Amino acid sequence: MDTNDDRTSSAIVVVIDGGPLKITGEIILKDLKKDITDNPAEVLLCRCGRSCNKPYCDGSHKN
Amino acid sequence: MFSGGRKYRNNEITVYWKPDACVHASYCYRELIEVFDPGRRPWVDMNGASTDRIIEVVNMCPTEALTWKWNDEDKNKDISVDQTNHVVFRRPELLEIKEPDNQENPVSVKIMKDGPIVIKGDFTFQYSGNKKAMKDGIISLCRCGASNHLPFCDGTHRKIGFEDK
Repeated sequence: MDTNDDRTSSAIVVVIDGGPLKITGEIILKDLKKDITDNPAEVLLCRCGRSCNKPYCDGSHKN
Repeated sequence: MFSGGRKYRNNEITVYWKPDACVHASYCYRELIEVFDPGRRPWVDMNGASTDRIIEVVNMCPTEALTWKWNDEDKNKDISVDQTNHVVFRRPELLEIKEPDNQENPVSVKIMKDGPIVIKGDFTFQYSGNKKAMKDGIISLCRCGASNHLPFCDGTHRKIGFEDK
């Protein structure tokens, strides 16, 4: 199902099947350790719970 | 005490009292002693008359000592010029300034400790072939991998004892 909407947003949140969450565009990321990361160009966040570098993906989902 | 003087509310309006602006013209208590009684504490009793009558008398005040506004902010956008003591004419700083809605809401991505990713604001959200434009939206996405409603969080992280290390 596609929602047709002309409105564009600068931030895009993509759930990669079998992989991490990819976020691109203008965001304010509130990390666990560092308080705030402003506008990272792209961030990959772990969705499987197995990353050793949480909240970021380290590829562990492939194992 | 509220910094701009005192304020008194009923369920429809708020009346603001700015004592240092008063020139003692006395319209308020001569017209409506039931509400405005300088000998009583507090001197304003918002239950002493109808809202319409209170507005009428506040509008007689020749200064900004007494002003009023609707509690429903939307109603303050359409005030006629004869409502002379509405705050929009006398003390516009007392109106809540609302950002116009055509601005894009910044996107915040918050990692909850031992919990989900919470994303708020205006963004495009894509999952399993869906593409949604979120406007002032909020989603909570699973980080533990065990949710029964992937990609969304359903609280399972607590049951399995998911921890950030």
